[in-house]
Amino acid sequence: MTQSIVIIAECYAGRPSPVTYELMTLAEKIRQARPMPVKAVVLGDEVERAAEEIAQTTGASVLGIQNPHLTYYNGELYKDLLHQCLPEMNPAFVLISQTTQGMDFAPGLAVRLGAGSITGVTGVSQDKTNLCFSRDAYNGKIVLKMLSLMGTTVLTVQPGAFKSMEPEIATTPEPVEIRLSTTESKSTRTLGIIRGKQKDAGLAEADVLVAAGRGIGSRENVALIKQLAALFPRSAVAGSRPVCDMGWLEYKKQVGLTGATVSPGLYIACGISGAMAHRVGMQSSGFIVAISTDPNAAIFNIADVCICEDLTTFIPVFIKACRGKRGAVTPS
Amino acid sequence: MEHIEIGRPMKILVCIKQVPDPETPVMVDEQGRVVRPKKNLKFWMNRADEFAVEEAVLIKEARSGITVDALTVGPEHATQVLERAMGMGADNSVHILLQETDFLNPFNTASYIAAYASNRGYDLILTGVMGEDHMQGQVGPMLAERLGFPCATSVISEQIHDEQGTVYVEREIEGGLRAALELDLPAVLTVQTGINKPRYPTLSGLLRAKKQKALVVPSHTLSGSKQQEKVVWACYPGKSRAGLMLKGRQRDKAVRLLEILEKKALI
Repeated sequence: MTQSIVIIAECYAGRPSPVTYELMTLAEKIRQARPMPVKAVVLGDEVERAAEEIAQTTGASVLGIQNPHLTYYNGELYKDLLHQCLPEMNPAFVLISQTTQGMDFAPGLAVRLGAGSITGVTGVSQDKTNLCFSRDAYNGKIVLKMLSLMGTTVLTVQPGAFKSMEPEIATTPEPVEIRLSTTESKSTRTLGIIRGKQKDAGLAEADVLVAAGRGIGSRENVALIKQLAALFPRSAVAGSRPVCDMGWLEYKKQVGLTGATVSPGLYIACGISGAMAHRVGMQSSGFIVAISTDPNAAIFNIADVCICEDLTTFIPVFIKACRGKRGAVTPS
Repeated sequence: MEHIEIGRPMKILVCIKQVPDPETPVMVDEQGRVVRPKKNLKFWMNRADEFAVEEAVLIKEARSGITVDALTVGPEHATQVLERAMGMGADNSVHILLQETDFLNPFNTASYIAAYASNRGYDLILTGVMGEDHMQGQVGPMLAERLGFPCATSVISEQIHDEQGTVYVEREIEGGLRAALELDLPAVLTVQTGINKPRYPTLSGLLRAKKQKALVVPSHTLSGSKQQEKVVWACYPGKSRAGLMLKGRQRDKAVRLLEILEKKALI
C-alpha cells in the first residue's frame, strides 16, 4: 500500500484552527521531496462542517470521526480512535500541531503506533536522500536537524513556523468520509473548560511593552522595568513565564504560548532568553529591542536592536540619557 | 489496568532530570555537533521537575501514609538531583544509571522508567511538563502509554480522591483557559511550572539523602528500546531581523538606542 502523509486537524468552535492549514503547508513541503497523498483526519462531536471546509480548502481527502464524547478534547479517546484509523492509511508521517492538545496525545500515539516522534518541528530539509526535521533546543540557541529511523513518524509542528496554506479555489474536493463512533474512554472523563488566569487588557492596548525575563535576576529589579516603561506613553510592563512563576509579576502580565499574544509598536525584552514559548507571543511586534548579558541569547535572532549588557546598570544609564535630552522629565 | 486497594497507603513516583545550567554557553562545532565547555559546567534539577517534586511532597503532607520515590535516568553525576529531591521531602530515590553507550531519547528514557515502575504499585506518577534543555515534553506521555495509564499534561491543579481511586486535574490550555478532567488512578501527570512554589531542600533532608543512598539500577538490566531518531546536524538559528548589535560603552549604547527610537518615533 502506498504511504501517505496524515494531518490531524485541530478545531475550535467547530471550525478548523489556522494551525491545521499550517500542517498542510508542511505536508506540501514533504510531498515535494517524497510525493505521496495527503489525508486529513478530524475528530469531534460534530465534524461534518469542519471536514467539508478542510476538503474544500486543501483538496485533501478527509476522514471525519464523529463521537458524542468529544465535546471536549479527550487524550485517551483521541489515541484510541486514531490508533483504529491510522494504520489503514499507512502513514509515513503523522502531522499534529504543537499545541497543548497536540503535545498531550502525540507522544503516546507514537508509542501506540510503534512510530518515531519528533516534537516542536520548525522546518524540513533534505540530507542526502533523507528528510530531516528542524527543532529548537537549549532555549532556542541551537537548531537540531533530526532524522527519524522509523517507518512512521509522528511530528508535532510548532504553531507559526509554517505559513497557512493558501486556499486552492480550483480544487475539486475529494468526497469527505464521516464515520460515526460511540467508543468511550475507559479512564479519562472530561469535565469541561474553565477560565484560568485572567488576561490583562492593558497588554493588548499598549503601544510599548517592556518585558522582564528571568535574567532580571530578582524581584527588586521589576522596579527598574517599570521605570523604563514609564518613559513611554501608552506603555505597560509584561513578563515571561518564569518571572510569573516566581511571583515577580502577575500571570495576567505573561506573554507567550501560555500567556498573551501581543504585537505592540515597540517591544523591549529585558533579560529574556527567547525560547520558542516566549517568541510565539511577541515575534510580530513592530520593533524589537533586546537586552541580555548572554551574547548567544535566542532573543537576539528576532530583535531589531541587540544590547549585550547587564540591564541593572544599563537601564539606569538609558533613563538618564532620556532625561538629559528631555530636560529632566521625571518619570511617574 | 491495576486496581487500587481502598485504604492502602498511596505510592507516588516523581521522575526528574538533571540538565545543564542554561546560562552556560552551548556551541556547535564544525561537524555540526553540540558542544559545551567541560570546565565549570554546572548541572541542576530541571525547573519543571522541581514543581513536580514539590507537588508530590505537598500531596504527601496533606495526608498520612504516602510514600514519595524520586527517580532519575542519567549518568553518575545525576545523583545530585536525587539528593535535592530527598532534601525537599522525597522518601526514597532511584537512579537508573546510564551506560556510556546509551543513547538518550525520550522513548528510551520512558521505556527504562516503565520497566522499573511497572508492577511496583505506583498510584500516581508525576514529572515536569518538559525538559528545559531539549524541550520535548515526551517522557511523561510516553511513560503513561508504556504503562497503560491515563495521562494529563500541563497540569496546573490536581486533587486526589483516593476513596474513589480518581484524580481531578486542570490542564492549562491556550487562551488563559483550563481543561478539567477526571482520571482513574494510577495515572501520569506532567506538571506545569507555577503550580506551586518549590521549597528549598532542608539540611536534614540533604544529610539523610547522603546517608540513605539511591537505589542504583544499571540501565542494561532494564529493557530499553532501539534508537528511533537521531540528530544529524546542529546549527545556530537564522536571524529574522536586522539584529543590530550596539557597540561601545554603556553610555554610548544608551545614546545610540535613544537615537534609533527617536528616529522611528517610538519614544
